[in-house]
Amino acid sequence: MHVIQLYFRLIQISLLSRMQYRANFIAGILGLIVWNVINLGLIGIMVTQFTSLKDWTLWELVFLYCLWILGHSLYSLFFSHTRQLENYLIEGTFDQFLLRPASPLIQLLGRELEYIEIADMFIGLTGISLAYAQLGLHWDVWKWSFFIIAIISGTIIVLAINLLIACSAFWTGRSRGTFIIVSPFYSLVHQYPVDIFGNAFRIIVSSLLPVAFMNYYPALVLLDKVDHASSGWWLSYMSPVVALILLGIVSGVWRLALRQYTSSGS
Amino acid sequence: MKLFWAFARQHFHATALYRVDFWLRVASTPILMYGTRWVWITLYTQRPGAFGVSLQQMVTYAVLSMAIENLFYTGPQYYMAQQARSGAIDADLLKPLDFHFHMLARSTGEMLFRIIVIALPAMLVGYFLFDLQLPATLQTGFLFVVAILLGYLVNFHLEFLLGSVALVTLEIHSIDWAFHATARFFSGQFVPLWLFPGVLGLLANILPFRSTFSTPLSIYTGVVTGGAVTEAIGFQMLWLILLFIISRWLWERVQARIVLQGG
Amino acid sequence: MIKVEHLTKNYQRVKRREGILGSVRTLFSAEYETTRAVDDISFHINEGELVGYIGPNGAGKSTSIKMLCGILVPTGGQIEVNGLVPHKNRMENARQIGAVFGQKTQLWWDVPVIESLRLFRDIYKVPEAQFKHNLNMFNDLLDLHEFQSTPVRQLSLGQRMRADMAAALLHNPRLLFLDEPMIGVDVVAKERLRTFIQKINREQKVTILLTTHDMGDIEKVCSRIMIIDHGHIVYDGNIDQMRNKYGTQRTLVVEFEEPIADFDAPHTTLVKSEGRKKWFAFNRFETSPSTLITYIGARFPILDLAVEEPEIEAIVRTIYQGSAGTAKVDGA
Repeated sequence: MHVIQLYFRLIQISLLSRMQYRANFIAGILGLIVWNVINLGLIGIMVTQFTSLKDWTLWELVFLYCLWILGHSLYSLFFSHTRQLENYLIEGTFDQFLLRPASPLIQLLGRELEYIEIADMFIGLTGISLAYAQLGLHWDVWKWSFFIIAIISGTIIVLAINLLIACSAFWTGRSRGTFIIVSPFYSLVHQYPVDIFGNAFRIIVSSLLPVAFMNYYPALVLLDKVDHASSGWWLSYMSPVVALILLGIVSGVWRLALRQYTSSGS
Repeated sequence: MKLFWAFARQHFHATALYRVDFWLRVASTPILMYGTRWVWITLYTQRPGAFGVSLQQMVTYAVLSMAIENLFYTGPQYYMAQQARSGAIDADLLKPLDFHFHMLARSTGEMLFRIIVIALPAMLVGYFLFDLQLPATLQTGFLFVVAILLGYLVNFHLEFLLGSVALVTLEIHSIDWAFHATARFFSGQFVPLWLFPGVLGLLANILPFRSTFSTPLSIYTGVVTGGAVTEAIGFQMLWLILLFIISRWLWERVQARIVLQGG
Repeated sequence: MIKVEHLTKNYQRVKRREGILGSVRTLFSAEYETTRAVDDISFHINEGELVGYIGPNGAGKSTSIKMLCGILVPTGGQIEVNGLVPHKNRMENARQIGAVFGQKTQLWWDVPVIESLRLFRDIYKVPEAQFKHNLNMFNDLLDLHEFQSTPVRQLSLGQRMRADMAAALLHNPRLLFLDEPMIGVDVVAKERLRTFIQKINREQKVTILLTTHDMGDIEKVCSRIMIIDHGHIVYDGNIDQMRNKYGTQRTLVVEFEEPIADFDAPHTTLVKSEGRKKWFAFNRFETSPSTLITYIGARFPILDLAVEEPEIEAIVRTIYQGSAGTAKVDGA
């Protein structure tokens, strides 16, 4: 109980910090909305001129794009600063975490709250609602539950992967480089269905860097696009499993990382 | 002119050569090339020869666009905003050197550097791995380079204007951000402008942003040929002259204001 | 309170190579080098002591403090802080210690000081009564109320340090680590912090380990001083003893009634001559000021006299220089 309480106290104070810069808030929210509208607009122009992208129609692509955003927005709202771990190590902030009688992980997670990312959630919800109406979807209870689970799994997947990358800083001193390398994978999976790409890419984003489980695979289920005749059909349902596996890996790595840090220091 | 090169060279040396991040960003470009290439291949299997442009031309357009992505946005506005915030702008104004020219020298140094260390290697990668075609004739290649330079100058002046505004407002992020979003949409960097329908297409053709990506890439791929090339380059020049005049005009005023306020 | 026996800490670092090719090579084949940051140090600190801990940068100060805080695990030797082994009981240890790092505030940058203190109250589970009592005390001694509703980023350095002190003492720690707490603080604020440190040490019996580069802090505040250099403790004792042992050099400043030519006095060296003033350096075991004054006074009319003691900084410099020769530098 105390851990959860502590987390909310930390979030509260992060929120208080952010409130100090209200002007950035409006600009930031508008910025994120325009940015996403422009990205969707570009995809829209492309797909309208060619009627579809493989067998994905415009609104299916909007759905895919927004499913990513929904899962990702929870991550970026609460946890996106975990990428800063490298800086926390350099600046000695992490030493302060260890100085206090509380879990360093909770202190790390509760360090910031990027409340501008509320805009992402807004875009995601709007986009999904529009797509739901445009595509004439009628989900049963099972599909709705899967939708919710898919979003939460998406959040966990991106959090776990990014936290793993961030943890590499405990050994190598820097993690930014790895983030740079993975970012094009993120942006491609975010915007396009992975079945249009070559096999190598599909395998990478389904195993080593399993971000396809954030939007592509659950979207297959939610849009009734699963081809049950294909050998890999079961992958479409695997998002929660992938999320759990990653969660297991990241908690183990975190423990190792702490041990590494306390034995090697700065 | 000598001074110009001195600045460019100095900047050339000071630039990111030793930053690993920088190299990793370069290394991540092929992944994006790979992705966009597949997107266009997929679209073209549905509708071969769309808009009278072949798949090869389209892939070349998209891959080359990734290769030259980093050339244009050299960011003099960040330098200007930072100098203004720290008060170091006074030192810049004290130099016996026109500030506008100084910024141009800095940016050009940065761009030359990026051509050599990013664009050329990326083009080689594109050529060997992602079907990037060579230009049809030597003349096309030459016109492409001219169009790139003009596109760079047009964009530099847009950024310089932003920087001039930042010197007064001391805030750059939101306005800079709006600029990049608009440029991203209307430059033809991701989706070529001939796909833009109706009003959007018209707007894209009037705004200066197409000078950066759309014009050079269309010339290179041969989508724009003959008299249309002259027209496109003329359009770039027109915008360049216009932006140059506005830049000088605005800068005179901003400078007067800084001197008045004492930095 | 603190028991440290044969404490050693090695760091293992990847050897960095020059240039781009070098860093690429490092990715594939890393070479490690071992540096010994703390080399077999032992000391005891009793309850209620106020110890100055000094040494040049990179001497091993921070490393040893980090081990005392439980942030770092030692390579060898034993540590006990108030009966606890810090790295094995990090959380319990954290409750009984407080720390102020002058270089970096522990407080949340953008929120009012009081909000950070409230959060610390929750993290350390400080009872409400104790929290109120301590806030009152901080108001009295540190004038906390003057800036408690100001965000930390708007505080002056002196105010920030006071706020940081309050945060570190909120949970009534038995032991307080102060790492460069006076860095960049102006003279008035510095004096005030020194008084505060002495006060909590005397009245609340908080044991304090103070790291500083300012010898004035040490001289005014500490009763005991530990000097670390190259990972070794090169001096541990009280300040007067240190002065006696290492500070044997004195200077006699004589002002004459009229300008006179330079001359030698027995067992002295004339180090400076300026107008009517002359400076004679001497070793206090070889001669005494009174002997010298009698000698000089007998020859020339004297207007004024002063004996200068060596500055503590000079003494410490002597000690560092002495240790540099004897210390072993890294065992790879």
